[in-house]
Amino acid sequence: MSVVATAPDRDLDGLSTQELLRLERAIAEQFMGGLPWGSIIWAFTNLTVWLSLWPLTLSGGLPLWAAAPIATLNVILAYLPSHEAQHRIIAREGEPLFWLNELVGHLSLVPMGMAYGAARLTHYEHHKHANDPELDPDINTRSDSGWHMVVKDIGMQLQTAPKMNTAYANALERIGTEDARRAGAVALAYALAKNALLFGFAWAGYALEVAALIWLPHIVGGVYIRFFLSWAPHHPAADLGRYRDTRGFRSRLGNILTMGMQYHIIHHLYPRVPLMRHPAAFRALRPILVARGCRLDGI
Amino acid sequence: MLHGMPLLFGIGFIAPLIAQLVERVVPGAEQAQWPLLTGLAIGGSWGALAILRGRWL
Repeated sequence: MSVVATAPDRDLDGLSTQELLRLERAIAEQFMGGLPWGSIIWAFTNLTVWLSLWPLTLSGGLPLWAAAPIATLNVILAYLPSHEAQHRIIAREGEPLFWLNELVGHLSLVPMGMAYGAARLTHYEHHKHANDPELDPDINTRSDSGWHMVVKDIGMQLQTAPKMNTAYANALERIGTEDARRAGAVALAYALAKNALLFGFAWAGYALEVAALIWLPHIVGGVYIRFFLSWAPHHPAADLGRYRDTRGFRSRLGNILTMGMQYHIIHHLYPRVPLMRHPAAFRALRPILVARGCRLDGI
Repeated sequence: MLHGMPLLFGIGFIAPLIAQLVERVVPGAEQAQWPLLTGLAIGGSWGALAILRGRWL
């Protein structure tokens, strides 16, 4: 990939809104296309590690104190490869590698016990309605501060029908298509299967093992994912609109531990730019983002 | 069924989890019935309360 134009090459002050948009698109398009091999390898490696924890833990070969943090890491790492698939970044419908896109989409979510169809459709709703208090299914992460978000999230997880799950179910109902109904039914089947797995292993004498491999990682990993993938890039989640509903931010944890979310603004502007190219795309587009009045907190 | 899920969770998961925790911590408890009965009492009543309150805690 060769970058032929970046915003700093141009004098932005003299450009009209339309010219600025054309330049923005031309720059962004340079970062699209090609197979995101990093995300594909990430998906299958993460799934393999998580699956290998089962025989290792159930046989007693791996102690629970080691299995639980590894499984939590697997849960944390499970979402983003599927997110690439949700946006058809690996391949679009009708393209030869669309099967790989769907395979990554489905399989990478297994450690989270999340259904791909429901994740994809509700995520599109999030993009369409980011920060809308009524229509954004991810709005429940909106909080005054990072600590407030963590406390609020744990509070929601203690609900017997967590508010965030209700928001996703409502979003699918609003979509109302046959696809959405099917996705909702599959998501319910996933939730029941997860409980059946927990109950089955627990009564077979492996309650502590499934607590370490599924139950605790879903609680802890869920907070981490919602913190960095939802709360941090949209905080304070008060504005609507293409250039204001997402922010850039600098985290003390750096880009890897925040899973690339410091540059999430690029994703909301151009969802088909692969995650691993977000930092470069951000650097190339930064002057335009500044000109557009985007919120770039320290980055 | 979904409405009753907390009770199922209490009996299906919390009860054996408590029983197996007790068996690991208390010497000799592995051979006894009381850890499982304790787990069922706590898990079952916790799940039933969760249904009534809409929250686990």
